[in-house]
Amino acid sequence: MIKSLDPRITRAEIELNNSIAPLEENDQWETYEVFHQKKRGDQHMHVGIVHAANPDMALLFAKEQYGRRGQSVNIWVVKTREVYTTDYEDSDIFDTVPEKMFREAGGYKVMEKINKYKKEHKI
Amino acid sequence: MYGNAYIDPNEKANSIVAGEDPEKLAEFEARISKGEKIEPKDWMPKEYRKQLIRMIEQHAHSEIIGALPEGTWITRAPGFQRKLALMAKVQDEVGHAQLLYSAAETLGKSREAMINDLITGKSKYSNVFNYPAFEWADACIIAWLIDAGAIINQVANAKGSYGPYCRALDRICTEESFHLKYGHDAVVTLATGTPYQRKMVQDALTRWWPPIMHFFGPSDKISQHTEILMKWKVKMASNDDMRQQYLNMYVPKIWDLGLTLPDPNLKKNEETGKWDYTEPDWEEFKRVINGDGPCNAERLAVRRNAEERGRWVREALKTADTKYIVPLA
Amino acid sequence: MNTPAIKELLYKMADDLLIIGHRHSEWTGLGPILEEDISFSSMAQDKIGQSQALFQLLHQLGEPDADTNAFTRNANQFYNAQFAELPNEEYDFSTVRHFLYDHADQLRFEMLAHSSYEPLAKLARKVKGELKYHVFHANTWMVKLAQGTEESKARMQTALSNAWNYALGMFEESKFEKELIAAKIFEGEAALKTKWIQAITPFIEKAGLKLPPEKEWNPVYGGRKNFHTEHLDPLVKEMGEVFRVEPASQW
Ligand SMILES: [Fe+2]
Ligand SMILES: [Fe+2]
Ligand SMILES: [Fe+2]
Repeated sequence: MIKSLDPRITRAEIELNNSIAPLEENDQWETYEVFHQKKRGDQHMHVGIVHAANPDMALLFAKEQYGRRGQSVNIWVVKTREVYTTDYEDSDIFDTVPEKMFREAGGYKVMEKINKYKKEHKI
Repeated sequence: MYGNAYIDPNEKANSIVAGEDPEKLAEFEARISKGEKIEPKDWMPKEYRKQLIRMIEQHAHSEIIGALPEGTWITRAPGFQRKLALMAKVQDEVGHAQLLYSAAETLGKSREAMINDLITGKSKYSNVFNYPAFEWADACIIAWLIDAGAIINQVANAKGSYGPYCRALDRICTEESFHLKYGHDAVVTLATGTPYQRKMVQDALTRWWPPIMHFFGPSDKISQHTEILMKWKVKMASNDDMRQQYLNMYVPKIWDLGLTLPDPNLKKNEETGKWDYTEPDWEEFKRVINGDGPCNAERLAVRRNAEERGRWVREALKTADTKYIVPLA
Repeated sequence: MNTPAIKELLYKMADDLLIIGHRHSEWTGLGPILEEDISFSSMAQDKIGQSQALFQLLHQLGEPDADTNAFTRNANQFYNAQFAELPNEEYDFSTVRHFLYDHADQLRFEMLAHSSYEPLAKLARKVKGELKYHVFHANTWMVKLAQGTEESKARMQTALSNAWNYALGMFEESKFEKELIAAKIFEGEAALKTKWIQAITPFIEKAGLKLPPEKEWNPVYGGRKNFHTEHLDPLVKEMGEVFRVEPASQW
């Protein structure tokens, strides 16, 4: 029996050479991805995971693991296995995006045209 | 040893990457040298995965085992402020274990498998937590000076190449700044307190100094393996560099309190700009790592006991449709 | 203002929270799974923090400062219900106590949010959110563990049966009951107990658990009058062990 410096351990009456069966598969349940919103108006941000046995507990756990400091107003959890993702291997599908200036506000330079016209016509 | 890659100095570079697709390897290394992060489902060399799992897992174990020496004083912390702060600090360490196990899981090792390797002694954790916290002051020294070491290690590793580990460490480092402040405050309070308190903190410091000098591990042997792990940004700083950084930051603060350190050779060498010290006893370090420290057996027995007491609880909540998959990020 | 009556009310609440928070903290680092370890520790911190706030109110009424009051009294000077001091045992009893106590605590503070004693009303409004989380947590765990395996169901039923009479002891009346009610400081233990039974019953039913038959209810009183089980003395000595070495010093 362990006589520990920690009175909690001494009270638990633990054998020093105890042995236990290994943890089995799913012993730690499954994982939920956690999304945290700091304040109203902000996006929810992915902050990590919790292991939980059901959604209610996932929310209880997420609140403490990811919301015990700083500001929070809202948390979402979703089972990891229910999240669909693109592959990093396919990140080339985004490759030509920066060239597509016709989608960007910065692709339209009206002031240049106006100024040129004003200059030419002395307005 | 806190969260450092294990390096076999005799291994040859070509054997480390043997069998890897050269094109993919080149792409992988180019990404890292550009400063980009590797994400869980990216292609990675087997050795990279293996070292990261080992390193992150050991770091996670260090957090959960690290909750025990300080936990020794959780029911006896003097006064509301200390009681609350110590509870919050130990809670954070449990939280760090959770974050780090999660990061390691993304590499394909389940939390169950990691816990099993911990409680059977197959997997290591930081040596310092195999030392006892005899008095209240020991818990204060741990909070200040062990966490200070952890921060140096964690800040370095947070610049590594593996995305999930870096993200976990960023979160952890924010909390560590509370640990450091709390620990410093607790030590300063004792050092500036009554003669009894001052003696208690000096005794604790004297006890903890050898394990603190062991904290970053022995000097790295220069090997091809080390070089590769540094190139891959798995190992971020040499053990000696981290130890020097630590001494530089904390020895003056300790001396500032009029406390003494049990090493007559400890001083800053004005010529080299580095700290001289008596070489730590690396034989003892090895002995403790291999299980023969003052608290190794107790720490693992306590973890086994905690897992066992929790088993019926976890079993009761498990549902028929529970289906674990590797977390995303 | 009826100071002795208010003090007695504050003492029993402060001591309940301190002792039960201390018991909860014994799980920190040793809980059944990492995530729950963290959650349970937060609730322990909330309780001890609330206790500290109550001791500060007592200090304002002329009692010793919070640390001295909490860390240097002897067991026979404590006002907590005996329910709070019982050892944690396993997670079954810990969860059942958390469920039974936190419902009572939440309702007590809800009542006190309208207390004519404004400092306490203010505190009650401030901790509302903490208590709401505690009760969410307790309800979920109580029901899920009771609905789990054969083993967990049996454990939860045993724990509930063992806890019950101690839990009823939380509502031991004070000699100031009438004054507190008349002065609109607190609606009284009897009213609280009625609300509490109403609050917990649906969850106990949902969990599929059974309360002992009413004729067997036999509240364990005494705590409010400084009578305690053999478990409180070692707890209090342990809690104050370091502080008492230099009680006048800062720690
Ligand atoms: Fe940590
Ligand atoms: Fe750490
Ligand atoms: Fe820490």
